[in-house]
Amino acid sequence: MTISLSSYELELIKKELKREPKEEELKVIDALWSEHCSYKSSKVFLRSLPSEGPNVVMGIEDWQDAGAVDIGDGYAIVMKVESHNHPSAIDPFNGAATGVGGIIRDIISKGARPVALLDMIRVGSLRHERNRWLLKGIISGIGFYGNSIGVPVVGGELSFDDSYTDNPLVDVACVGIVRKDKIIPSVVKKPGLKLVLAGLTGIDGLGGASFASRKLSGEDEIGAVQIADPFAGKIILDVTLEIADKVEAIKDLGGGGLAVAVTEMANGLGAIVNLDKVPLRVKGMKPEDIIISETQERMLYAVKDENVKEVCKAFEYYEYPCAVIGEIVEEPKIKFLYEGKEVVSLPSSLLLSPPIYIWNMKENGEQKTGEKPNVRIEDAIRSIVTSEDLVSKEWAYSQFDYEVGTSTVIKPGEADSSLLLLPNGKFLAIKGDANPDLCVEDSYECGKAIFAEAYRNLATVGARGVAAVDHLQFGDPKKPKVYAKFVEAVRGISEAARFFNIPIVGGKVSFYNENSKGEPIKPTPLIVMAGLSDKPFRPSIEEGLDIVLIGITRDEMRASLFTKIFGQYGKLPKARLSEDLISSEIVIQGIHEGKITYAKDISKGGLIGALWSIITKGYSVSISTDVITTAEDIYSKLFSENGGRFIVLTNDSQFFTKLAEKKGTIARVVGKVTKGSGIYIDSDYYDLSKEIDIYNNYLEARL
Amino acid sequence: MLGQRKLKTAVIKFPGTTCEIDVLKALKEAGVESNIVGYKDFDPDKFDAVVIPGGFSFGDYLRAGSIAANTETMKKIKEMANEGKIVLGICNGFQILVESGLLKGALLPNLKMRFISKWVYVKVVRFDTAITKGLNKKVLRMPIAHTEGRYYLDNPEEAEKLAVFKYSDEEGNVKEEVNPNGSILNIAGIANEEGNVIGLMPHPERASFKLTSPDSQTDGLLLLRGLRK
Repeated sequence: MTISLSSYELELIKKELKREPKEEELKVIDALWSEHCSYKSSKVFLRSLPSEGPNVVMGIEDWQDAGAVDIGDGYAIVMKVESHNHPSAIDPFNGAATGVGGIIRDIISKGARPVALLDMIRVGSLRHERNRWLLKGIISGIGFYGNSIGVPVVGGELSFDDSYTDNPLVDVACVGIVRKDKIIPSVVKKPGLKLVLAGLTGIDGLGGASFASRKLSGEDEIGAVQIADPFAGKIILDVTLEIADKVEAIKDLGGGGLAVAVTEMANGLGAIVNLDKVPLRVKGMKPEDIIISETQERMLYAVKDENVKEVCKAFEYYEYPCAVIGEIVEEPKIKFLYEGKEVVSLPSSLLLSPPIYIWNMKENGEQKTGEKPNVRIEDAIRSIVTSEDLVSKEWAYSQFDYEVGTSTVIKPGEADSSLLLLPNGKFLAIKGDANPDLCVEDSYECGKAIFAEAYRNLATVGARGVAAVDHLQFGDPKKPKVYAKFVEAVRGISEAARFFNIPIVGGKVSFYNENSKGEPIKPTPLIVMAGLSDKPFRPSIEEGLDIVLIGITRDEMRASLFTKIFGQYGKLPKARLSEDLISSEIVIQGIHEGKITYAKDISKGGLIGALWSIITKGYSVSISTDVITTAEDIYSKLFSENGGRFIVLTNDSQFFTKLAEKKGTIARVVGKVTKGSGIYIDSDYYDLSKEIDIYNNYLEARL
Repeated sequence: MLGQRKLKTAVIKFPGTTCEIDVLKALKEAGVESNIVGYKDFDPDKFDAVVIPGGFSFGDYLRAGSIAANTETMKKIKEMANEGKIVLGICNGFQILVESGLLKGALLPNLKMRFISKWVYVKVVRFDTAITKGLNKKVLRMPIAHTEGRYYLDNPEEAEKLAVFKYSDEEGNVKEEVNPNGSILNIAGIANEEGNVIGLMPHPERASFKLTSPDSQTDGLLLLRGLRK
């Protein structure tokens, strides 16, 4: 097993300890100080994200845990996002499955019942065999875990770019529900509590946190990947919720295993752990392996002495291992004992205070941009609508049980956001958004744009955003250009979050995402936003409805799907957040007053991309481009991806034109839904039956 | 005693069962008195009917439903079935009933060899079972979600006799194109000859609430109300 600590860090450790650390101790520090667990390269900037607000009932402590937000009637939602990129690159099935297991345990460690999962997947083009293998494994891994544990996967993203060929991104988010007064912390505040561990410890996932905090070496790293056992995960879920009232703190065993869970739970206090007491899956494990094993489906509870019996009894019903392995103590030291000997004895403060880094930054400079390409409109439309990003994702979501829980109002594939019925009668919308093509050009504008896009997506089902979590995925932070992009993205997200007044209640950073040539992935910050609505909404489409375009179309073509295919030109889209807000307000009001049957935000593929979602549901659309007077270039009118815009289907278009005037923007009827399977643009008609076939069958045929 | 109380249904929770809360919610909606009962705590004398909900009992290790089928709990449920009490298995529950021999046949892996989650139509072809007696509607819409749902019986004539639900189109035409998993004769659910033990792959409890059904229909409730009688 490789250790990721630098020589500077090793020196620092010796200086602090005033002695040579033991081998076992180094492994513990390596886990705690890993980028994955310590956020040492990102923490300073993460602190600039607004994480507080009147609705935040539990903030995040040092970015480790899920935050909770008040949703009224005594309930709170808990949300979290995480990735399993490195493990999935090596073993896509187990890598993705354990990602789901981990995020679910993060939610239940707050005492919350998980009610929805999202998966945001990015792989290289399916033209390549390996990417097909990766995607198949990732999707079946997510389904395997989510289905078995009974948490619906209600939405997500599946997107393609060759910068992910060696390093796929597997992001999963989870939302849970809890009574506001029953939220359980992850840390303890006083000594004396017993440490109770549920689950068996094995030899999988050794050094996983450290492994995730460096580049993939190309060597055999399968030992660092954990194995998924959703049946055990289901028992952990059921029992944890059953005993939540009986424990003082809950901590999931994730990256860094016991070393990290115990240290973080002690939160500056000390702990003594007897490794002989840890229930093992295999005989003869070395003590240091017990400490850092990342075997899944384990949970750590801090329990008052008098409740220990009852807690373990609940596990015994399911014949699941449960043992008291130690206790929280006053002396601020983390100690692991084995066969009566002290294997590890380290000050809590050392473990919890890794060096913080601010790496060098370097601007990327102006990106190259070319001449406007000369493409026939017809060819452009046919290329755009058959791009991998826009094909039907049914192949993927049909492998997920999205109905379990009987709360899924809007199903995957039906709208831009999912919608779930909550126990308090309100409706929860959730969506994840990223835009690596924009981020690679300007990650500051991108940070704002993805936040705004998530807000718009929630608006398409009538919901207003209330909380967000972010996931920042980049290459090697020590590379100045990569680090500059990271900081810019955080700035953009922070600015947008403040503008929309939506707290960031949790997040995750994943660095060292590179391909085998050492080139970074496109910067991929991602926002997962949750919103609320009082009104149920199910989208529907019929012939004769007016298509109303809300917002201002601009000649900002760069970083669009069109320019990705035909060559970069033109200006970059700027995020004009007040336009996003105004347009979203109009859509939300339209839905609540029953004026909208279907709404779609304009993003990938521009206006054509948005209209495509109508055509693929069995209709034609006819559009007149003369009505769009805010852009000159016909390509912009059809394919620009600048923000702040929606199309809505309605039989009361005046409602929108008037409301837009009142609110300070433009809404115009640009066309109609008609019968057929094609698109009329002004006087030209393009039949798209062949493209619709591709849309429906592409993934099924490729995979 | 029996005459004085309302019929009561037990919803069995095995380790790995995922749908017990949904089934309970739907039974309540259907006006059926019911409780969730842990598999070790089940007292058959206290109940008049049993629902075995969907999920992945014991992780579906070995074969879907096979470990649950060999528990003490299933012995008790067999006795209930022999007494003529109603036993309903949904999805994994159906798999358990087949594995335990309470229903004939087997549930093989889907032809596509992967999990399939989808809303489907089924045609009701038997009206002499506890949950289809007196049913007015003949084509029902419900979702399926399973990896091993391809019903098979080596005797097609017998399968035809046992069949209660067949995958169909919206109009009730039973045809191969709408068979999601490759089951024999498009079978989605069967019952024993007596009609008191019923198993089906679609989830009636997920088609029991207006807000979450695609067309606001609650066809699942029509079936679950059979447990009220």
